[in-house]
Amino acid sequence: MNGTDELVRLEDIHKWFGGNHVLRGIDISIEGGKVLVIIGRSGSGKSTLLRTINLLEEPTQGRVFFEGREISDIRTNVNEVRTHIGIVFQSYNLFPHKTVLQNITIALEKVLKMSPSDAKERALEQLASVGLSNKATAHPGQLSGGQQQRVAIARALAMRPKLLLFDEVTSALDPELVKEVLDTMRKLADEGMTMVVVTHEMGFAREVGTRLLFMDEGRVVEDGDPKEIFSSPKDERTKEFLSHVL
Amino acid sequence: MATAEAHLGDTETPPDTRGPSAPLPMSVLGVGIASLAVVCVGSVVIQVLYALFGGGITQECLAGGLGRQVVTGTRITFAPVEGARGLCHIVSGFNSGAETTLIVLAVVLGIVAIVSGFSIYRRMPTKRQRNQALSGAFFGVHGITVAVVLVWFRSGELTTFARNFFNFQVLHGELGAFLTGMRNTIVLAFGGEIGGIVLGLVLAMLTLSKHKVVRAPARGYINFFRGTPLIWQLSVFYFGFALGLRLNFSAFQTALIVFSLNMGAYSAEVFRAGIQSIEHGQMEAARSLGMTYLQAMRYAIVPQAVRRVIPPLLNEFVILIKDTSLIVVLGLTVAQRDLFSVGQDGYSSSFNATFFVAVAVGYLAITLPLIRGVNSVEERLRSGLTGVVGL
Repeated sequence: MNGTDELVRLEDIHKWFGGNHVLRGIDISIEGGKVLVIIGRSGSGKSTLLRTINLLEEPTQGRVFFEGREISDIRTNVNEVRTHIGIVFQSYNLFPHKTVLQNITIALEKVLKMSPSDAKERALEQLASVGLSNKATAHPGQLSGGQQQRVAIARALAMRPKLLLFDEVTSALDPELVKEVLDTMRKLADEGMTMVVVTHEMGFAREVGTRLLFMDEGRVVEDGDPKEIFSSPKDERTKEFLSHVL
Repeated sequence: MATAEAHLGDTETPPDTRGPSAPLPMSVLGVGIASLAVVCVGSVVIQVLYALFGGGITQECLAGGLGRQVVTGTRITFAPVEGARGLCHIVSGFNSGAETTLIVLAVVLGIVAIVSGFSIYRRMPTKRQRNQALSGAFFGVHGITVAVVLVWFRSGELTTFARNFFNFQVLHGELGAFLTGMRNTIVLAFGGEIGGIVLGLVLAMLTLSKHKVVRAPARGYINFFRGTPLIWQLSVFYFGFALGLRLNFSAFQTALIVFSLNMGAYSAEVFRAGIQSIEHGQMEAARSLGMTYLQAMRYAIVPQAVRRVIPPLLNEFVILIKDTSLIVVLGLTVAQRDLFSVGQDGYSSSFNATFFVAVAVGYLAITLPLIRGVNSVEERLRSGLTGVVGL
């Protein structure tokens, strides 16, 4: 709409779950090529906010813009919009009845209408980029958590999204498997992928993030450069949170 | 990283830790098995021997109900009924002194096994010995149970019972009818199952709609067909609709339709539960890739749900096989009769319940392999060999 490199804009987003007021007026704009990291204690609304961006959560009030278009408008073809916004979940959510390769090709074939051979080619290419070429014919149940999560990232990337959302993707992993997933994400950030990352990994947030949001009780409390916020938080709540996790 | 894979192909068997056996618990086990074997195997042997060398009809059998009174002048004699020879052998075998000996022997052995087994099992030093002592006692219980049932059985009027239920002579020449009946039962059951699965899947999807206007009729349908007796549905659809509205459906065709409609309601509930059991994340993942609701259902949710509902669906199928017998109320032509109708007609014309024994054998011949199938499928699903369950 206005800024040329603005990818997503949220305007006064509110979300109620029953009587629970989870998001209490969020206004943010996300630029292309940036890595936006969202931190905050559990229940602060950060995952809900992330899921609002691809409309997995429909905001009770407020508007969501993607590439200048209001996608919270009821007439929007949400399915089409979602092909441009990938998401990776905490619990991977791979399709257990399909092989690793099929997990990636299914949407390429059925949603993007690619030919099976093109889809396979792209899927293999994407698997190679996360270092799992040799697992193409395995089922997700045969993979470790870290490998499954990398497949999930490959599945999202294969759609060639303009934006990639990460919802606490390392929280379900054993400590020794966290690094392989974070390394994959770091590589993506270096390649210029626009990412929104909800995480508890403070080291990753400080190092890879280009912008940091601290959320508390459904509001954005602090918004700025990660290194600055980590070294000198302005808000009392941010200070308290950081003193607990660092 | 490769550990998950290594474990999957692992076929190493764990060590046997049940320990060695010992003569005492082994003999307890032997006595227990002997108790059950004496009464079961022994009785069968006696029956076979009487059948082969039984020597014909005794006066007791004739007087006991296997003969018809024939009055010639002042003399009263008995003429044997059809199949009386075989029946007399069965009855004589049960009443023989040898059978009495077997029963007494089984009870004695059983008591020995029970008393010794239960008194020593706690003191056994290894798992194997304890299991042998306990198993011996359990076998003793089985042996005594069978013996007691036989004693009770012998105390009744065996000739009447045998004449009514074991007169296999009356089945002579009915094999073709029974096979036709089995075929029709299988056609009805499979037809109803297939129609029911298709209908059930559609109904399940409708009941999961977020629009009440879509949900309500599906729920109404399911509740109606689950809430009314199948026999009522058959009667109303045939006598009420097919005949009453002069639609061109035979009783058999009507029954096929009703079984499908009824099965549809039941399998809809099974499918709904199966679909709802798939983690919500699967739907979210599929939708996030840009799939429509129906695409997500088709490619992600339903394939997983179908695998989960195979055991309960097969269960419903076994129930349907037996419920097809209700078709008897519609009055079928000879070629359309199902297994139960064949038996029912045979009973009506002969007043001999041996037909129902044959019917039971026919149903078991269909259902037992299926039940075995259900169990092995369940086991496969549980062990995760399909790569679906356990995730």
